[in-house]
Amino acid sequence: MENVCKQALIPRTPTPYVLQLKASAADNTISLISFIVFLIAWELICRLGIVGPYQLVPPSQLVSTFIIKLTEANPDGGTLFEHTETSLLLALTGFGAAVVIGVPLGLLMGWYKPLDLMVTPVFDAIRPIPPIAWIPLAIIWLGIGLPAKAFIIWLAAFVPCVINSYTGIKLTNPVLTRVAEIYGASRWETFYKIGVPSAIPMVFTGLKLSLNASWTTLVAAELLAASQGLGYLIQMGRRLSRPDIIIVGMLTIGLTGALMSWGLNLIEARFASSKRVRL
Amino acid sequence: MIASEFFKKGSKLFLPLLSVAVCLSIWEVLHLIIGGDFLPSPYQVFKEALRMFSVKIGGNTVWMHIFYSLRRVVIAYLLGAATGLPLGMYMGWNRTFDKVVKPVFEVLRPIPPIAWIPIAILWLGIGEGPKIFICYVGAFVIFVLNAYTGMRYTDPLLIAAARTYGASRRQQLFNVAIPASLPSVFAGVQNALSMSWMCVLAAELVGAREGVGYLIIQGMDMYKPPMIMVGMIIIGIIGASLAVTLRWFERLVCPWRRDLT
Repeated sequence: MENVCKQALIPRTPTPYVLQLKASAADNTISLISFIVFLIAWELICRLGIVGPYQLVPPSQLVSTFIIKLTEANPDGGTLFEHTETSLLLALTGFGAAVVIGVPLGLLMGWYKPLDLMVTPVFDAIRPIPPIAWIPLAIIWLGIGLPAKAFIIWLAAFVPCVINSYTGIKLTNPVLTRVAEIYGASRWETFYKIGVPSAIPMVFTGLKLSLNASWTTLVAAELLAASQGLGYLIQMGRRLSRPDIIIVGMLTIGLTGALMSWGLNLIEARFASSKRVRL
Repeated sequence: MIASEFFKKGSKLFLPLLSVAVCLSIWEVLHLIIGGDFLPSPYQVFKEALRMFSVKIGGNTVWMHIFYSLRRVVIAYLLGAATGLPLGMYMGWNRTFDKVVKPVFEVLRPIPPIAWIPIAILWLGIGEGPKIFICYVGAFVIFVLNAYTGMRYTDPLLIAAARTYGASRRQQLFNVAIPASLPSVFAGVQNALSMSWMCVLAAELVGAREGVGYLIIQGMDMYKPPMIMVGMIIIGIIGASLAVTLRWFERLVCPWRRDLT
């Protein structure tokens, strides 16, 4: 557990450049040009027939497939909106359930020693098994419908929630808790007035990891057993040998994931980082 | 007083044991209620493990399945390190290069490696290729990100000091910036390994005839929950031992700044 905690502390997203001066307009132009060159090269590779149409399609065709898929349900039985909606609902259900159960559990584990001693061994035994490995068991136990997938996503999101809340509250400055005790705060008051607020930044790190994990796991679950959803869409694209559908599906998965992370960052900026200082 | 003292000391050992025992008994009771193979008892799982290690499953022994999975992970992981680390470091070091690569990388980054499975199968068939490719994608992205972050977090003061003493740009890179970025790189090394381990599972679940992912999917197809559970335990043990090995290796290679990892 200790080692995991320390790992969880390391920032995973690149923070603004340390050595960099302000990004100049020239830099952005370079980025833009490089991206355009990339697209043109891709287009040419396909147009010149270096790779076959059943392996890669040019970007221009991706755009048209994307526009068609917005309204057209064929050949996989759902428009892009329907697939995205299904996946999003599922991921957010699992994620929400994991947050509601995982964060309080982690916080309490970090605060009350006996609970920590009791839950940690069980938790540590289950943690090394990747959530994806639960898929076959979940399918046998719960069928191929929503419950099985929600269960797996819940499991995937649950672990980072617990670990980060646990670490966050463990790192509470002992001086603060002692001051609270001296001024006669009860144990419960110390917990929710000192411990919980100081754990919030770490909790948010955990939420971000959880969201990522639940989105990844969702795709895996939908690849294996689904009748709708983005994972199912790309799986159908493979069966039909339609690389355009696969790539549109992949980009939608990436974009939706990025949008969700962005939303979570907004929530974090609103609630976590403005007033509270990391203790 | 003495009794409570004893209890306090004993609770460190006693409570974990108690909770494991409670969990196992809940498992056993659930097995008795639900019954049969649907929720096998711990003993049934143990028996199944003995059986699985003594027969061939899908033409390979369990050890061979483990070997296949590990081989895929190791190949993909080393490839990921060999390409991802230099790319990430150079992106962190050279701003122009960063700007050139960043847009394409940023488009691909949020796509989970598992979402590459269908296109990998379309491109590379159903042999070893797609599995290694998926693991490679998973490891590669993490390697790049961490090498990049490590480079960016290099203390500017160190670089400035090196420059003051007349270090060439090359020396600044190899003698200052790269060693300073290693702790962050190693954080990525751990994550990349667990990511590739997860990816190999996913790839094997979707389509394979060997590997530990095949074991559990076979258990599902044959409707044998004990077999799935044994497979999951094997997966967990291997994942954990990979992490432990890497941590040991890290202490060997990167003895400074132990606090980060």
